[in-house]
Amino acid sequence: MSANKPTQPARRKAPSGAARSQRNWRHPLRSWLGSHRTSALQALERVRHYPFSSAMTILVMTIALALPMGLSVLINQVKQLGVNWQEAAQISVYLADSVSAEQQQTLTEQVGQLAGVASAQLLDKDLALAEFQQHAGMGDALLQLDYNPLPSVIVVTPKSIEGGAAALEPLRDRLVALDGVDQVQIDLLWVERLSAILAMFERFAGGLAVLLIIALLLVMANTIRLAIESRREEILVIKLVGGTDAFVRRPFLYIGVLYGLLAGLLAWVLLALGLAWLNVTVERVAALYQSDFALFGMPFTDGLALVFGAMLLGLAGAWLAVGQHVRAIEPQ
Amino acid sequence: MIRFEQVSKRYSNGHQGLDNLSFHIRTGEMVFITGHSGAGKSTLLKLIMCMERPSSGAVHVGGQNLRDLGSDDIPYLRRQVGVVFQNHQLLFDRTVFDNVALPLIINGTPSDEVGRRVRAALDKVGLLSKENSYPIALSGGEQQRVGIARAVVHKPALLLADEPTGNLDPELSAEIMGLFEDFNRVGVTVIIASHDLPLIARLHHRTLTLDQGRLLADGES
Repeated sequence: MSANKPTQPARRKAPSGAARSQRNWRHPLRSWLGSHRTSALQALERVRHYPFSSAMTILVMTIALALPMGLSVLINQVKQLGVNWQEAAQISVYLADSVSAEQQQTLTEQVGQLAGVASAQLLDKDLALAEFQQHAGMGDALLQLDYNPLPSVIVVTPKSIEGGAAALEPLRDRLVALDGVDQVQIDLLWVERLSAILAMFERFAGGLAVLLIIALLLVMANTIRLAIESRREEILVIKLVGGTDAFVRRPFLYIGVLYGLLAGLLAWVLLALGLAWLNVTVERVAALYQSDFALFGMPFTDGLALVFGAMLLGLAGAWLAVGQHVRAIEPQ
Repeated sequence: MIRFEQVSKRYSNGHQGLDNLSFHIRTGEMVFITGHSGAGKSTLLKLIMCMERPSSGAVHVGGQNLRDLGSDDIPYLRRQVGVVFQNHQLLFDRTVFDNVALPLIINGTPSDEVGRRVRAALDKVGLLSKENSYPIALSGGEQQRVGIARAVVHKPALLLADEPTGNLDPELSAEIMGLFEDFNRVGVTVIIASHDLPLIARLHHRTLTLDQGRLLADGES
């Protein structure tokens, strides 16, 4: 050790020469990056040294993440199904028996041009019978009859079903007023029910997410608090030899981010497997309802958002703890 | 380098750490602080390190009034000072090398330079061969020398030592003091709190004697 260059305290020796000054601006950045690398490695080291307690924390975080995320993914997928149903939400315009086939065509065109109508399709009674037998599984009953009891129908798809059945009232009035129209039926009740149920589940998932996120933050904060306590001596020494609070904080914040990352990835895997597992039964149920609906698994962007959000939550939880505890440890 | 102006420190439990203390230590001096335990030696060092704040009076270090330092500035003050503790304050889960490197890591020294300077510091205290050992495997005297290497590795202008020979036998104590004299010889201001009066008397440096927080004597012992 050659301490033969006394420097003024609280002031660094002035750099001399171009090479020196060039190193000087690069040096802070490099040392800052170096310090971050060291902190990140320390976080990894901690997971390696305490695999069991790390795993416990990460698993608790995983569950706290996977539950609301899984619910939200499920709701979103059922909503997709709801959108299909909405497209199929129809107004059935039953035509009187007396209307001739030709008149049926003109009427259909007329209806198609009404405001608020996306499309109008004629389903004459023969077609209607065929469809009924094919889809509803009740064809046998109809076969018992020696005549076709079904009326011809113009199937109207409204442009929007926002506002529910009430908003479609004016359209319905106009349809009823048309010559040759026997009856108009708006069947939106089940669409409204579905969206109400979905809204309820969404709210439930939202509330659950808020609670679990709070739990996750607390778990993280507690883990970091313990980590800080276990390294109390080290923190004291670091502060004594001139370590800033930021320097002391950094490894703990990295632990938070690392735990978040691992929990996020694990939750992603868990959800992907869980949805696949669930899909087997969903497909069977859907088949019984003559639907080809299936869960489409864990969307990639949702997975990324999950991992990123988990890292942020880990960081936030760690920040909660270090903000309080690192400052409190001061050499006496 | 260090100026105390009518510094008093009263602790919240009523203990009077320092009582109206004034002195001046110039750059490059080597000074002993002595007195009975509880006379205020540690308080004095803690005030220089900003581990404590004076109740009244002013402490100047390197021309800077410490009262003007905010808590965010304190780490930067401490980086200009090397400190040796009686109980070493080594980290037992790190190697000798990592312990000594700590101040350099903290002030962001490039890694190639860290290795060079840590080995230079260990060489100076005669422990170069132990860089990969853990402190637990070292004797008390060796641990203290690791503490000294850590205190000087970042070439501080000011070196403080609080009872650095407290637990060591006379021979080792003399050896440690010899190290401090070496650093002082190359320009480092050295302040050592110690109650090892026979050793201090042999070394012939300026000595501040404290008694109940007051300056009892100031001169070569």
